[in-house]
Amino acid sequence: MAASPYLRRRLANLAALAASAAATAIGLAFLGWILWVTVQRGLGALGPALFTGITAYGAEGGLANAIVGSLMMDVMALLIATPIGVLAGTWLAEYARRSRLGAVVRFLNDILLSAPSIVLGLFVYMIVVLPMSNWTGGRVSFSGVAGAIALALIALPVIVRTTDEMLQLVPGTLREAALSLGIPSWKVTVQVLMRAASSGIVTGVLLALARLAGETAPLLFTAFGNNFMAIDPLDKMASLPVAIYQYTNDPAPALHAIAWAGALLITGFVLLLGLAARGLLARHKVAHD
Amino acid sequence: MTEIAMPLAHSPPGAAAAPAGAAGAAAARLAVRKLDFFYGTHRALKGINLDIPARQVTAIIGPSGCGKSTLLRVFNRIYALHPGLRATGSVLLDGEDILDPHYSMNRLRSRVGMVFQKPVPFPMTIFENVAWGIRHHERLGRADLADRVEQALRRAALWDEVKDTLGKSALALSGGQQQRLCIARSIALRPEVLLLDEPTSALDPIATGRIEQLIEELKSDYTLVMVTHNMQQAARVSDRTAFMYLGELVEVDATETLFTRPGKRQTEDYISGRFG
Repeated sequence: MAASPYLRRRLANLAALAASAAATAIGLAFLGWILWVTVQRGLGALGPALFTGITAYGAEGGLANAIVGSLMMDVMALLIATPIGVLAGTWLAEYARRSRLGAVVRFLNDILLSAPSIVLGLFVYMIVVLPMSNWTGGRVSFSGVAGAIALALIALPVIVRTTDEMLQLVPGTLREAALSLGIPSWKVTVQVLMRAASSGIVTGVLLALARLAGETAPLLFTAFGNNFMAIDPLDKMASLPVAIYQYTNDPAPALHAIAWAGALLITGFVLLLGLAARGLLARHKVAHD
Repeated sequence: MTEIAMPLAHSPPGAAAAPAGAAGAAAARLAVRKLDFFYGTHRALKGINLDIPARQVTAIIGPSGCGKSTLLRVFNRIYALHPGLRATGSVLLDGEDILDPHYSMNRLRSRVGMVFQKPVPFPMTIFENVAWGIRHHERLGRADLADRVEQALRRAALWDEVKDTLGKSALALSGGQQQRLCIARSIALRPEVLLLDEPTSALDPIATGRIEQLIEELKSDYTLVMVTHNMQQAARVSDRTAFMYLGELVEVDATETLFTRPGKRQTEDYISGRFG
């Protein structure tokens, strides 16, 4: 006697549930493992020296110059990418929503979004680092500014895309209600629509920052790295990912420990940014429901 | 004949009623003439002629898709926001054709306000929701601006509920309060005409009652045009009612007449619930 259809459906349901639970568990297990190893290996070198010493002193030093360099370049990158990205996203959502040109720009932006970051680094090397070097007779070549430009190229498409999407989510009735007060459309866009989408746009910027924080490849040919503390943006500049990359290539185990501590710093920073983004989006949802 | 004409000529002005047609035209704030409207190639309004008298509530009723909201959205040209839509014919506001491309859209919209089906407060404070529009159209000092905001909120019967929370976000208000805020926001610009697109369809009966009462009160100062699904509502609050069907204006008359002695068979069928 064949099993009843009800029993069969229950079994199929159970099998599907078990398979998806297992897949989730595998994904989470690796994430947990990575976090665990990072914490376990990183905690050992996580002391005050990490934030005061510089990489020039190797195992006796810390990552202060790399931390400062990373912060400076990430902030500069956002200062470049945010205005351009928000304006471009606004143009896409408000002025080119259904136009052919808008579709083309959106497609190109998606290509930039998935461009290999090493290519962006080489591109900036060609158009910023080499000309600067020629122009200044080699006084300025690799620099924090060049690194920031390369990072900005990574942040830009993320910001364009989230701004575009968040503005498209603003209900059309809000646009109509604001326009029906006889207020010109640029003012409606800036003062009502962008305000309504603001937490979404800020979330996009935070996610872009989270992506920048871990990028190594675009900095290799642009900021280069520096074993001393550099505040001048036209100087070669250290960064956490590049310092980690260099330390892990070194045979000295003490340097590996510092590299792990650096990895832990980046991971914690990205985790915090993720939490902040989630918090902002949750507030955004409450405000709109 | 002269014996009859003589006393008429000497009678006081109030008693000498002008012919109904002339009075209607003179008092018409909005006059719609041969209006056609197209969504791309689809003709959604067909040769509409309609006079909207000043300081009265005109209700537009009809089944879904009859073009009543489309007609309303011509009156402040908010349709122009969407590509592919166009209107032909004329709509005269105090004698000027608002469909004339030279007629400033922003001037039109400051004279003809609109309240939408769902309340749409701006993501700002309650005060800013009302002040934002005023500030764009007029240069006022702080005190004058605050006065204007208070006046508008009082007129919209919302002042007592929000006077202590003007600095709070408007998004925290209830649906009915938000809709009254939207009315306050529109009348703060001192428009001549106020368009209401099913203003109570997203509200509960108590909030609906308050909005209807407010509409009654507003007609002493404004010309109101209201689209409604709800025939009882049209009967309760409007002075005149227009019935539309399939993009045509079937009949327009005093509300009482239209609901008790409709002139057309289609109107009678609709108001007696035989279709729609």
